[in-house]
Amino acid sequence: MGCGVDEESVENPYAFEAPPNFPAATYTFQNNPITEEGFELGRRLFYDGALSRDGSVSCASCHQQHVAFADPLHRLSIGVDERVGIRNAPAIQNVAFKKFFFWDGGVNHVDFVPIAAILNPLEMDETIANIVVKLQAEEKYKTRFRAAFKTDEINSQRMLHALSQFMVLMVSANSRYDRYIRNEGEVLNAAELRGLTAFQQKCTGCHATDLFTNDDFRNNGLDATFEKDNGRERITEYSGDRGKFKVPSLRNVALTKPYMHDGRFKTLEEVLMHYQSGVKDSETLDPLLRNNETLGIALSDQERSDILAFLLTLTDDSFIKDKRFSQPPN
Amino acid sequence: MKASKIFLFVAALIVLSCSDNEEPAITNGSLKIEFDNVVGSTNLQLNTPNQIYTNTVGESFNVTWLTYYISNIKLKRADGSYFIDPVVSDGSKGYYLIDEMDAASQVLTLADIPAGEYTEMTFTVGVDANQVTQGAQVGPLDPAKGLFWSWNSGYIFFAIEGVAGVSTQEGNVFQYHVGGYKLISGNTNLVNNLRDVTLSFNGDNPAVSGAKTPEVHIMMDVLKAFKGPGSEVSFASNASRHSPAACVDIANNVQAAFVVDHIH
Repeated sequence: MGCGVDEESVENPYAFEAPPNFPAATYTFQNNPITEEGFELGRRLFYDGALSRDGSVSCASCHQQHVAFADPLHRLSIGVDERVGIRNAPAIQNVAFKKFFFWDGGVNHVDFVPIAAILNPLEMDETIANIVVKLQAEEKYKTRFRAAFKTDEINSQRMLHALSQFMVLMVSANSRYDRYIRNEGEVLNAAELRGLTAFQQKCTGCHATDLFTNDDFRNNGLDATFEKDNGRERITEYSGDRGKFKVPSLRNVALTKPYMHDGRFKTLEEVLMHYQSGVKDSETLDPLLRNNETLGIALSDQERSDILAFLLTLTDDSFIKDKRFSQPPN
Repeated sequence: MKASKIFLFVAALIVLSCSDNEEPAITNGSLKIEFDNVVGSTNLQLNTPNQIYTNTVGESFNVTWLTYYISNIKLKRADGSYFIDPVVSDGSKGYYLIDEMDAASQVLTLADIPAGEYTEMTFTVGVDANQVTQGAQVGPLDPAKGLFWSWNSGYIFFAIEGVAGVSTQEGNVFQYHVGGYKLISGNTNLVNNLRDVTLSFNGDNPAVSGAKTPEVHIMMDVLKAFKGPGSEVSFASNASRHSPAACVDIANNVQAAFVVDHIH
């Protein structure tokens, strides 16, 4: 019996499996075991405008699968009544491995991620209590909650757990880079390999591990002053965190334009140019970007083009085409 | 079906006989704890039409909302050992939301307490990091209760709002939302506003037994929340506070705002 269960789990598309080249998962699976029914409920909630005040905005409005659940169209996220948010909507991928969410890291658990978007007046502008009332009134949700949680009571915990079940299975670890690093027969070309070497020398101070982020907060020299957005300081209320933002993962980075917390760069070329020659000084500028008299990262034009070639190997086509995560039929 | 019923019956018999044979019956009992919110010597009334209360710097105010979390309750015995009110990871047990608008919420009943005399109690005002990081919660910790800080994950531990003529906020309101618990390694600058409160029963020790459920009557004085070890709060100078660092003084005041009034 034990053997049978093991064999089954390999084939089970709803089983969470950590890729061997990833750090340990952080999600509290013990409190929220994934089931097919829970995942499928979460999938429907993710694509349902009922999570917003007027029904106009769903999670998928700003998190689209074909670009690794980022928002390719808007520099700043757009909420109900066409309200413009203050930051760029980030990709959703590998969230089961992260400790902090949102650009300022104010959210520290996957279950709480939807709450921040729901309550934000510039995003979904709805209350948790009201969403529960709306879901309770829908026959299809009654059926799906019962199937997922074996009870007729719809509450916020079950709604959030279902959304988490959907999101924690969004694991992107099947890029050409992954297949290369795991010796699965993939080959990187000369430029990509030179780019990997340059990346390891110059970028992994922040974009560390195979998640390509150290999950930390850094000031990467975008601005000299931070009146518009003080970043991590908003959460920690510590001036040493002024202008620091979460180091984003670079997985699928070729897809997740525009870049930076405010989406100011449209292309990866602009991003690399920023590190090469655009870094601005301030008190909290990351020490890694301050080399003696020169600011930024010393990059030759060749290295810049090689790193760009390498970054394109982080695109995971199977993730953006995975039917489990697509808009459900109903 | 039939077989499983028989199995259950037999299992029940075994459990019963085991407990019969082993320990001499220790009767467990319950203890009620009432949290009564007061303003100085008068009982707090919400939404009074006039600003009938006066803080220690002479500013008139009324109160429109008062609510706080009590958790991690421990009862101490004379021998120094404790009864610890159990906590469940989904928040369904061990966390209590005292809401001035809901009389029922102000009386907690702790159950399954071993019989005996207890000399003091300790509790936390707030919701600790271990609980928050368990993820989505139910009961008093359901985010639908409106006390979850969405932008800075965690709960508002203690909220008081009202109207004070001297407030420069729109509608002369004051709003103090005390929260903040984060302990992130490497960042010693984060504010932790969780406060433990220890209250002695001063020799009037409640004796818990199967036959008697003692009732501990605690008073939380709003005036002390505005003046105490932390600072003297003035609605004129700072009527809107919504972040951990902005409320450290109130957290310190609140810690000293609870007293055991009487026990019966």
